[in-house]
Amino acid sequence: MATRSEPKAWVKKLGGVELTLVCLALLMALVLACTLAQVKLGTELAMNAVMRTFIIWWRPEGWSFSLPVFPGGGLVGGVMLANLLARLSYLERSRRKAGIWLVHAGLVVLFAGEFASALLQVESHMPIEEGQTRDYAESFRLMELAAVDAGDPAFDDARLIPESRLKKAKELRDASLPFTLKVHAYHDNAELTMRRPGDPPSPATAGMGTNLVFRPVAPVTVDDQANTAVALVEPVAPDDRSYGVFLLSNALGAPQGFLHEGRPWRLSLRPRRYYLPFSLTLKDFRHDLYPGTDIPKNFSSLVRLKDPASGEDRDVLIYMNTPLRHGGLTFYQASFGKEDTLSVLQVVRNPGWTLPYLACALTALGLLWHFGVMLGRAVKESRA
Amino acid sequence: MKPRSVAPAVFVLGLLAALLPLRPAPAGDYDADAFGRLPVLEGGRVKPLDSFGRNALLMMRSKQSVPVDGRRFTASRWLLDALFKPEAADTYKTFVVDDPEVLGLLGLEPGKERYFAYWQLEPKRAELRAQAAQAEKLEAPRRSRFQTAAVNLDRRLTLYERLKNTVQIAGTDDAAVELALLGSVVPAALRAVHGGGTSERDRRAVRVLAELLSRFRFLADAAVFKAVPPRAGEPVDAWRSNGEALLKPQRTDLHPAVTAFALMGRSYRKADPAGFDAALREYQAWLEKERPAFARSAEAEVLFNRAAPFVTGMALYVIGLLLIFASWARPRAAGLPAAASGLLWAAFVVHTAGLFARVVLQGRPPVTNLYSSAVFVGWVAAFAGLLAERLHRRGFAAAGAAAVGFCTLLVAHHLTGSGDTMEMMRAVLDSNFWLATHVITITIGYGGTFLAGLLGLVWVARRHFAPRRDPADEKALSSLAYGVVCFSLLFSFIGTMLGGIWADQSWGRFWGWDPKENGALLIVLWNALILHARWAGLARERGVMVLVVLGNVVTAWSWFGVNMLGVGLHSYGFMDKAFWWLSGFAASQLLAAALGLLPPRFWTERRNA
Repeated sequence: MATRSEPKAWVKKLGGVELTLVCLALLMALVLACTLAQVKLGTELAMNAVMRTFIIWWRPEGWSFSLPVFPGGGLVGGVMLANLLARLSYLERSRRKAGIWLVHAGLVVLFAGEFASALLQVESHMPIEEGQTRDYAESFRLMELAAVDAGDPAFDDARLIPESRLKKAKELRDASLPFTLKVHAYHDNAELTMRRPGDPPSPATAGMGTNLVFRPVAPVTVDDQANTAVALVEPVAPDDRSYGVFLLSNALGAPQGFLHEGRPWRLSLRPRRYYLPFSLTLKDFRHDLYPGTDIPKNFSSLVRLKDPASGEDRDVLIYMNTPLRHGGLTFYQASFGKEDTLSVLQVVRNPGWTLPYLACALTALGLLWHFGVMLGRAVKESRA
Repeated sequence: MKPRSVAPAVFVLGLLAALLPLRPAPAGDYDADAFGRLPVLEGGRVKPLDSFGRNALLMMRSKQSVPVDGRRFTASRWLLDALFKPEAADTYKTFVVDDPEVLGLLGLEPGKERYFAYWQLEPKRAELRAQAAQAEKLEAPRRSRFQTAAVNLDRRLTLYERLKNTVQIAGTDDAAVELALLGSVVPAALRAVHGGGTSERDRRAVRVLAELLSRFRFLADAAVFKAVPPRAGEPVDAWRSNGEALLKPQRTDLHPAVTAFALMGRSYRKADPAGFDAALREYQAWLEKERPAFARSAEAEVLFNRAAPFVTGMALYVIGLLLIFASWARPRAAGLPAAASGLLWAAFVVHTAGLFARVVLQGRPPVTNLYSSAVFVGWVAAFAGLLAERLHRRGFAAAGAAAVGFCTLLVAHHLTGSGDTMEMMRAVLDSNFWLATHVITITIGYGGTFLAGLLGLVWVARRHFAPRRDPADEKALSSLAYGVVCFSLLFSFIGTMLGGIWADQSWGRFWGWDPKENGALLIVLWNALILHARWAGLARERGVMVLVVLGNVVTAWSWFGVNMLGVGLHSYGFMDKAFWWLSGFAASQLLAAALGLLPPRFWTERRNA
């Protein structure tokens, strides 16, 4: 048995089982709070408010600032990680404790994995119709303004302005844009309706927005609902000539345009795109049912993967519990639409995705080892 | 009898008792049992008519049979009337209606009766439909109690109305005549359509055929199950309802199933048992020749339905539990523990047989839905308890085993009301590998946590109510509970992690803080907390026992509670009624935990003081 010098007092305190118990109890409270909060907030917001934060903030009705009310998942997890590491630093290194060692080392990896995915994981999706080819995924919530020079049909030259800039800036100047974009308003969610006779005039003065009115509403957070974002944008030429105020929304399908120095420009507000260095073509989407019922049996998408970098060009079948992993991304069969001709793939980038697998193996092995040793001893004692 | 031979003798007696439901039933006029063994396709799987009938009755009246004129009609017997003589079935008390407002809507007096016949509800049928249609515009959680009840009754009535029009249109006196008519008009109608025949007879044939086809289309739309199996050589899934088989015949001759059902219906309406049996036998012979596999599996399932192993198991567990209590009250009666042990092992064997039969019939690992999870949790806890009893022969673990076995089978029994318990698995769940690994391990974890909790309850009860306190007993209980907590932590941790891996494979994230995942995590954390508190010396015997009792609340929450929230990717079964049961259970456990914290027999001591 390896003997080691007595650990420092603070290390011993940090690795103490009392701290472990406090953390376990706090974590249980957080897990319960996170579960209950989902009824109102939806999974993603509840997770961000309770788990993926260091402090849980609470803002009483009418207050302009929030109060810290409880340690968040990040803090409790961090303390637990420190507690684990401190404990491991002076845990007895022996055969008898080998199981305990494995369990707690596995937990360290598990925590690291959860921190990694909280920080690095990016989720998006890719709606793709049969026969279509896509080389980008779209964000669920974030929007972007695309200004496209449609003069050259072969080259769709898009200048992209993310939602965050639209919200902050009143005027957008960009070296790549030959005009200025004045942002009159931006709303995360709104109700868009056709303007009826008698309605006040639309704030838009150009494009199809002149026939529309909108009313801002609170953004939705429930997982299966989408926001209708609205932006009022006015392109202004360098000589201060206005092209009119355009009403842009992700709910409007067709882009709206104007002519600037003889070149047609198209504006649209659309879900933020993440371009990929490869492309997927949907060849076939299948939605199988159990005979004589509407109960889905399987969803699958047959796609053609083309990656110029690696020279790959092959068919891949993405179906339940069998995603495609390529280029650091994972594609899952998530949803479908348009009478089974549209498939929606969930696209996840998580560089730490292997960590939980390692953690599970370590911890499970450790638990089996330790409880196996204990059970053996108990059986021996009861025989004796 | 010598004490040594008591246990085996009681064991054998218990098994014999389990075989009792399989004794041949008294033969009626019609061979309803054989009729119940006919296979049909419903809910995506091939099942016997008997299973369909039992599930339909469970949905409509929460029982598997109907009382008719002082006799008890089996599901198959009731189906004969519902399918062939609906005017008779309409008078049977088939629908349970509890909601006073719905009863008021139907013009029925609340509080007097719970069960009603279709004819009693029919006069206000249109109004109920209108109310239900109104309520269906709202999402289920937003409906009022009345609206929920109205939608529920409307669905049950619709099921019954469609059932009556599944093999023949309700009120058809002789479907065989219709089939003969079809055979006679088709050639003439074809002549007329192809321009060959222009005689008045041919044109009339076209009209008759159009009329017949519209009737068949109605039948095809209404059917709740498909009774016409694919012939040999056709794809296995190509079942058709009677209406579909007539609308789109695959061959020129009529399908034997269509003919058989028409003949059975005619004979049944004419009160001709011999003719009914002849048609039934002929169809059975055809099935035996062309689709023996369907006939086999349907027969096996009927056997399982009749044996009802979980009901027998429940009874055996509860008798075993009472024997253990008796042995604690009369410690000198040496035969009692042995008898209890024999009976509990018999109960466990019956439970196992039932579990195994479901696995074989369904072709799936044992846990596929909330119902089967209850059966499996009980099985695990009973098995672990009976094994632990062999380490410490004091009856505690056996009592825990019996109580969890009984309670979980009771819970399962009350979860059957939503229909087929062997329903098909929705797409993402259609993975035997993950069902066999993640779901099984996590369910074993639930079972273990409940068993530990029960040991805690036994400890609390003995501390306050046992005639004589025995510290050795209490210590034995606590070390048993500790072992079971270790076992539960192992399984619930591995199960939760496997769940994460499954989620990573199917949704793209290992952990999403989804309610069901959180529920499983709570159990892991709770068990870890108990073990760390014990290792730290902060919780000793009493502390651990109180903590394991509270573990019951944690487990019940993550097993059932999260399903009631109705959010997240895992919410497959939503229940309202169970909420009150769950709250009551949690309250009782908190009370038991509080009792555990109080000094033993505190009330007697105060009285003495």
